Parts: sequence; C-alpha cells; structure tokens
Amino acid sequence: MSTGVLLYCSNTPTYEYHKITERCVDLIKKHLKLEVTIVTNLQTFKKFKPLGMINYKLIDPELGNKRANGEQWNQLERCFAYDHSPYDTTILMDCDYMCYTDNLLTYTNIDDDFLLHDKIHDLTGKGVYDFRNNSIIPMLWATVIIFKKTERAKRIFDMVKHIKNFYQHYCNLYRVDFPNFRNDYAFTMAVNQVNGHIQQKFLPGKLPTLPDLAKILQINDTGVVYQYEDRIAEIQDQDVHLISKELPHV
Amino acid sequence: MNLGELKKQADLSYDITVAKKNALERAKSRQIIAYNEHLFHADEQTICLAKTLSEHRDKFFVLDCNENPCEITDPADFLHKLIERNQESLNAYSQIHETFKRR
Repeated sequence: MSTGVLLYCSNTPTYEYHKITERCVDLIKKHLKLEVTIVTNLQTFKKFKPLGMINYKLIDPELGNKRANGEQWNQLERCFAYDHSPYDTTILMDCDYMCYTDNLLTYTNIDDDFLLHDKIHDLTGKGVYDFRNNSIIPMLWATVIIFKKTERAKRIFDMVKHIKNFYQHYCNLYRVDFPNFRNDYAFTMAVNQVNGHIQQKFLPGKLPTLPDLAKILQINDTGVVYQYEDRIAEIQDQDVHLISKELPHV
Repeated sequence: MNLGELKKQADLSYDITVAKKNALERAKSRQIIAYNEHLFHADEQTICLAKTLSEHRDKFFVLDCNENPCEITDPADFLHKLIERNQESLNAYSQIHETFKRR
C-alpha cells in the first residue's frame, strides 16, 4: 500500500506559488518522509529549484476563477486529485500548509477513506473565520484531505467535478454567498450530497490557520514568526496553514 | 494610574492567553492516535474508559473519534499507547507553559 502527498501548484500573475511549494516540500520531506507528487503547468515547472525525488504531473490549468479582489486564482483542478494521485492513500494538501509535525501520518493508518477538517483554529486568537452566515451548511476545509482509492472516495470527487460544472446552481441550493469557485464549498457540498445530506466523519482536531491579516516575518526550520496588529508572536513545532501569500518574500 | 504600564500588562496578558490557547491546541492535535485503523483522542476520558473497561474485560468495544465501534483485543497495549501519547503531549505543553511564567 503506497502513501504519498499530492500538491497542486501553478503560478499566477500575482503570486509565485512555486516558491511556497518549495518550502512546503522541504517540510514534508523532513517531517512526513513521504513521496510527493506535484501537479503543475509547464511554466511553473520550469521555475522550480531541484527538489530531489519528486513526481511531477504537468497539466494545463483551467483559468477563469478569481479571488474576491479580482486576482487570478487557479484552484480548479483539485477535483481531479483522485485521478492524478498515484497513491493508494493520498494526503492532498494546499501548498501553503506547512508541516512542522508528523501528525498527518496518523491519519493515513485508518480505515476511513475520505477525511477532511470541519473545524479551524485561528492562531491569532481573533476568531476571524466564522462562515455560519455564508451558507446553510457548515463549511468544511479542503486544505488537507486524506483519501483512499475507494468507490466512495471516487464518488465524492466525481460529485465535486459535477458541482464545479454547475457551481452557481449548487451555490443557490446551499445559499453560498461566495461568487468565486471555492474548493472548500465544492467539497462541502459534495460530501453532503454523497453522505445523503448528512455531514459525517471528519478529521479530528482543528486546522491551525494563520489568517491573511497576520504578516509573516520569518519562517525557520521549526516554525513561523508573524506580526498581527502591533504584536509579534511565534508558532513552534505546530502545523500551520498560511493564508498570507507574502510567504515567498520571507 | 500609569496607563502605559497598564497597556503593557494588558498586552502581555493577551499574548500569553493566545500563546497558551495555541499550545493547548497543539497538544490536543498531538493527542490523536491511530489504533486498529481507528482514531482516538488520547485524553483523560479515553484513558479512564480504557482503564475501567480493561479491569472488567479481556476484550471490549469503544467508539473512535467518529463514533465508529472498534474492538480492543489487547487492552494493556491500548492503554499503554494512550498514556504514552497523552503524557508526551502534556510534557511538551508543560515546557511551553513554563515560558509563560518567565514573561
């Protein structure tokens, strides 16, 4: 049984995601010690520094998705992760999720075939992530998804593809008020549909996240130093999802 | 009243509270273990349950984090792993907690 990490990365005119991915891969190799596959496009692939034994899968990313501020946002390929993954058990994660522990390995030794986080921990303590009023179902976080090659997992990914094609309809159905395509909601809706409109089975624990408002000052081998308002704080030996895309410049 | 000093103390108190919350969350994340292909929180409740059941049964069922039943066929091993992970995470938390006192 093979286990590996699958990352999606393609640069946009605004952000150089390959630099974030390089840091992410270094941490995966250090803490998870798993094989890594990066799904990217040719232009981004050419910019990667040598990362050692990495599998690359080159695709032409679908364009058209945008952030709320109008910036290009390539996040339309994750629904193909089931097809792209060469592993029996896959940790599908955002390239801005930094593994400072081996906690994710725990989730690969279980019989559940599709798990993701339903809770988040805002590391600034401000509780900025409250989406209760943004849809009629609680949003799940597609930042880290652990899945196996099973029929049920395939059904969920197929459902995400379907939702992507009819995204506006499903947004209306679930009253999601984010106009752009968000994987978090696409997976939330897919899991909800496949589970018979009942949310169940999540990753235990919370997704540790540093919001966009926190400015990242330093990234070292053991953690992240950040500034929030007029305070400087540090996270050590804890996985962290970095929303701020200033990361490559640190 | 020295307002500057008051703000400094209030900021320090806030920073310690947030850091403590983050350290506790880190400890809780670390307390999750996989056993017999099921996930468990190695917290005080699970430890007490495992300890109590192991005193009365050679094998027993418990519910995992997602409320799926899991048969424990080696209670001593299960309890040992729970305690080991619980104490590992709390030891790390204790070390961070010591730094709060020095602030």
